[in-house]
Amino acid sequence: MFSTLNKRLLVVWVVLSAITVAYLWIDHSADDNGAARASTAVTLSAILLALVKVRIIMREFMEVRDAPRRLCWLTDLWVALMAVGLIGMYLVGKAAA
Amino acid sequence: MWFFVLFESMIFTAYFGVYLYHRGQHETAFLAAQSHLDLGLGVLDTIALLASSWAVARSVQAARSGRYDAARRDALLTAGFGGVFAVLKVVEWVHQVHAGNTFTSQEFFQFYFFLTAIHFIHLLIGFVVIGVLVRQLSGVERRNQETVETCATYWHTVDFLWVLIFALVYVVR
Amino acid sequence: MRRPTWLDSPKRELWLAWGATVGFYNLYAVVFFLITRTQPPGQPSYGDAGVVSWFASHHDGLLVGMAFIFALGGLSSTSLALITYSIRRMSVSRAYAYAYLLVYAVAAIPGFLFICVAMTAGAMRPDRSPELQRWLYDLGFLSFSGTMGVFLIGSLVWMTAILLDKNRVFPKWFGYLNLCNALTEVVVAPAWFFDRGAFAWNGLVAWWINVFVFGIYTGVFITLLRSMIRREDFGTGPLPDLPPRKPRRSPENAVATAAS
Repeated sequence: MFSTLNKRLLVVWVVLSAITVAYLWIDHSADDNGAARASTAVTLSAILLALVKVRIIMREFMEVRDAPRRLCWLTDLWVALMAVGLIGMYLVGKAAA
Repeated sequence: MWFFVLFESMIFTAYFGVYLYHRGQHETAFLAAQSHLDLGLGVLDTIALLASSWAVARSVQAARSGRYDAARRDALLTAGFGGVFAVLKVVEWVHQVHAGNTFTSQEFFQFYFFLTAIHFIHLLIGFVVIGVLVRQLSGVERRNQETVETCATYWHTVDFLWVLIFALVYVVR
Repeated sequence: MRRPTWLDSPKRELWLAWGATVGFYNLYAVVFFLITRTQPPGQPSYGDAGVVSWFASHHDGLLVGMAFIFALGGLSSTSLALITYSIRRMSVSRAYAYAYLLVYAVAAIPGFLFICVAMTAGAMRPDRSPELQRWLYDLGFLSFSGTMGVFLIGSLVWMTAILLDKNRVFPKWFGYLNLCNALTEVVVAPAWFFDRGAFAWNGLVAWWINVFVFGIYTGVFITLLRSMIRREDFGTGPLPDLPPRKPRRSPENAVATAAS
């Protein structure tokens, strides 16, 4: 039991790190011959990937998975609120520019 | 503790929102300044902090099954990975300041230094929290699973806030 | 007509202090936001001419509002007194109470009275050179916003006391709210560097988010102080819970819980 749980934590860490490394690839593929350029697609995917990581951290590391259902809903609601807030502010800022 | 997690993440969402809004206004200036950051270093930072989170999650599991020595080892490992993160962060700051990118030089770096610094304060508090955790695990009569989990929850919050800062400051275009 | 029972209760002094606290925070909000209009703060980027016209347009409000503060600002001591009382009611060392009291007593000078003196000096002497008026304007707002850090330690002291307390004077989540408040106080410090943008003294980060959090914090602690007074039994052990409005348990159980 104990070692299965530990294995699960290790897998979670590997997944989180892999997503982090994937940012390198996103960043590289978005370059225009080595020069950085603005990209809404990169911005949105970076934000969404980060929120996926946040949700994994909450579910697995912070053990929301086994917590009362209310906390599950609440944390999911929070992740959704963050997504709306961040993407909304980014788009509003762009539109107002 | 969950109250803190939720409240603090809303405050950070507000900070991030302000940053993204300003970014949208001056996209090219932000992009030019952002290119001074080393994404590789950011990735390394993030993986170190994720590893510390992993270690503290292991510590909670070990404490729950009564293996307090293992739990204590993992708690110390957490502080170790946190230390790696802190050192990398300071190295990066020194590097940026030497390159002329300071808090007051450009708008992007205002936000870069603000977000990384406020996070760093959370990290420093985190070291105190890990100290409490180690002390809890060391004394037979002090062990309290609820406190152990509260300490771990705080540390994970420091971790996931960094995950967001990393994406927003280093990667966002 | 029956006398309200709280008048005879041994808690009436506490209620008096609590009422004064509510009165003070309302006065504070009315004076700063409505009468003097010093909050939200004026533009940090004003030149000499801008500051002179700012003082001219705020002249009457500043004089009336600050007169209220100079007469009644001392009421701020009542909330401090109640909070110190709450820490003394906890199971923690008295040192926490003394530290809190001293930090906030000192903090009131840069964080609250300085702006009143500087703004009044600016408004009362409109014939002074614009440069000097601008200096007073800067001094007023910078002392008010730039010194929020002094509240950081105060909040952390209260937080530590709440988290260590075994008398259940405050719920633990409020301890963590103190931490949130302390951490937003720090972010006002960059106001020293900038005269525009999110980190200036009227910026989104340095002012709006901070005031929003502080507003929630103040509302919450006033409410929690109220429930502390209601629960106060003037003993030294854990504070009893309020009796439930609709008793769900049998009376014997309730007695047993109260005694434990």
